[in-house]
Amino acid sequence: MKENSLRKRVFEIIPGFLSWGIILTLVILAFINPVSCAVIILVFDFYWIIRTLYLTTLLVMAHHRLYRERSKDWLKACPKNNFYHLIIFPVYKEGLDILRPSLEAINKCHYPKDKIIVVVAFEERNPDARNNARVLESEFRDSFHIYLSTFHPAGIAGEKPTKGANATWAAKEAKIVLNRSGIRDEDIILSCFDADTCVNEEYFGCLTYHFTKSPKPHQSSYQPMPVYNNNIWQAPSFARLVEISSSFCQMIEGMRLEKFVTFSSHSMSFKTLVDIGYWPVDMISDDSVIYWKAFLFYKGDYRVIPLYLTVSMDIAYSNSFIKTIKMQYKQKRRWAWGVENFPFLMNGFLNDRDIPLIKKVRRGFHLLETHVTWAVWAVILLFIGPLPVIFGGTFFNQMAIGYNLSKITGLLLNFTLFTSLVWIVLSRLILPPRPKEVSRFKNVIMTMEWFLVPFIILILGSTPALDAQTHLALGKYMEFNPTPKSKKMV
Amino acid sequence: MLNEQKIRGILFYLSVSIFFIGLPFILSYALGYKFNPRTLKFTQTGLISIKTQPQGAHIYLDSKLLDEKTPSTLSELLPGTYSIRLESEDYYPWEMQVDVYPRRITRIEKVILFPKRLNIKQLNKGSVSYFYIDQERKNIYYFNRQDSILYESDLEGERFKELSVLPKSFKGMPKGLRLSEDKEKILLFNSHQICVLYLSPKGSLLYGQNSLMLDYPGKQIIQVFWHSDSYHLILVTDKNISVLETNILSNELSLVNLNGFPSELFYDIDRDSLYFSDYQMGNDGAVYENVYKLEFSEKASIISSVVKLRQNERE
Repeated sequence: MKENSLRKRVFEIIPGFLSWGIILTLVILAFINPVSCAVIILVFDFYWIIRTLYLTTLLVMAHHRLYRERSKDWLKACPKNNFYHLIIFPVYKEGLDILRPSLEAINKCHYPKDKIIVVVAFEERNPDARNNARVLESEFRDSFHIYLSTFHPAGIAGEKPTKGANATWAAKEAKIVLNRSGIRDEDIILSCFDADTCVNEEYFGCLTYHFTKSPKPHQSSYQPMPVYNNNIWQAPSFARLVEISSSFCQMIEGMRLEKFVTFSSHSMSFKTLVDIGYWPVDMISDDSVIYWKAFLFYKGDYRVIPLYLTVSMDIAYSNSFIKTIKMQYKQKRRWAWGVENFPFLMNGFLNDRDIPLIKKVRRGFHLLETHVTWAVWAVILLFIGPLPVIFGGTFFNQMAIGYNLSKITGLLLNFTLFTSLVWIVLSRLILPPRPKEVSRFKNVIMTMEWFLVPFIILILGSTPALDAQTHLALGKYMEFNPTPKSKKMV
Repeated sequence: MLNEQKIRGILFYLSVSIFFIGLPFILSYALGYKFNPRTLKFTQTGLISIKTQPQGAHIYLDSKLLDEKTPSTLSELLPGTYSIRLESEDYYPWEMQVDVYPRRITRIEKVILFPKRLNIKQLNKGSVSYFYIDQERKNIYYFNRQDSILYESDLEGERFKELSVLPKSFKGMPKGLRLSEDKEKILLFNSHQICVLYLSPKGSLLYGQNSLMLDYPGKQIIQVFWHSDSYHLILVTDKNISVLETNILSNELSLVNLNGFPSELFYDIDRDSLYFSDYQMGNDGAVYENVYKLEFSEKASIISSVVKLRQNERE
């Protein structure tokens, strides 16, 4: 036990240690050996440009696929649609204004309603939970095959106040009800959605299609493309840009199948969820850790299948600019807390004898590289890049590299302007229609706001990830801090 | 889906290939190396950065005209000495032998090309014997000895106009001209006279007069300064330092008797302090030159501090 916890601590420290190690080494090099520092910066800049061009190409391909498949009649294409869909909405403080549109979106879906089971999972500790449950039950009780409200009690031993704990409680309650009704676990496809998730009408048809077509449907998760369209026309530029970028990142990840991990709202086999022991009840990043749990359970033979349909969520914002930045920062830090998956996965790998070593190395390295790159890229590009020129002194500035560093860096980064143009065009294409009450002028603002990107990178580029990794390395574990969401501004 | 993954695979390996093929060239270029495709070797080179004022000059490298114009950086130059000539139409050419060192940049970034056609113009409209430039007011004051008239214009010689006429009693050429802090009075002085001209009626204390003449026949005036109140004058002569009001009825107040001719004088109008040098005989019988600060502000004593700047022993 002691050995396990020591091992866990070592793996918790590694990402933060690497990120800080890279940053501090480069800063020290900028003073004591600016030429070496400049060489490393140039290598990184070039790598970043190539990577950006590559990923932008993937984004274009993903967008093309999304565009192509959005009007497909998935239900008709399904060989059989006798699967039940269990949809769990873990809720904490979200009110009726958030939940009602999400439930209405499910109600509008083309999938037969007698095959849809909805569970709204409330937290007992929320004083409004019972009342909200009563209101929603009265509105949606007859809309689905089964409509269930669950109330997760606080303070269960071994649990932390996380979304995973609530979802696990709800799934166990649902299992009792469903099994009692004669519905088998293997006939249920589970979707665990954030409270503000509004699905596309074809979502369950598309999900059923991919489930039935998958060679190993129970060894797969199904990831829709999250977009933050619910309030995109109302949200301020800063928050809108951050969330559009998040959607794009997810679309890009969807193209990299061997590295794809579940994120936010997603679906999977209910049987698999039961077999692997539900979500962890003491981890914040339940959306991704559930994938790794299944991955370890199935000895590495588990994958995520991208669904090229969007699920729309809310952009978190406030009426104050500073509050919006704080909200976004906290949300991104919570996402970056997914770095806790690294010690979880490494521990799992060390306890496993069946997963091929090469697979362990590749997946472990990719997880680590993703988080470390997230924590250092903006720091290197924006802060460390100019250091050799500033602190290199006369000698460095008389060197050819002293002159060429800023020139080549500027030239390379100009390539990213091209990718920015692609992102601007694609961001316009995924926008929902402009509401009548929104001025046409907003179209111009939404194009011009991309000039804010350097400012956003400055604040939200690397710092939330560095913050999360530092906390994990120091053993100061984060509490689950849900992003406040409301149709009214917070 | 499979097709997409195939394309993605191709893109991935293409990107990796571009990275590993392009990186050596980028790094070698940045570090000042040049790839020689014939020998397949990298050779060390240097750079010359050229900036001129004005920009756009033609660059001749060892007498060969280059395509680029200034500002420009000539890269991939083998180490050695190069002749650089910069030419621009209507400007004098600039030429220099420049050493290029391996992996170094030689900067020629402070070149000014001077025009062949000089941009020169006469500012005064009549004959001038003396002029003074007030930087703060951006004015030029001209004095014509023949008719004793004071003129003014802006720094471009525009708005040239007669300002005042010096009294006939002011003899010879002025040694200096100073504008008061309130910009309403000008003083001119020669070796034995001070003339204060009132530029606006409210500056005058004596109704009907637009000038004040002060004579010092027994002394030689070295310098005169305006006090910051624009009313008092600090007068430095070969005999003493005194203060006086710009009023015909006031008396001169002598503050410091000088032992010699001050070699340096500076008046700090912001602090109303006069810095001057004078000789002093020490207890050892030797003569020392000291630098003094004499304060004229309200709070200060007459001589607040004495700073010994240097000691020159005189035989």
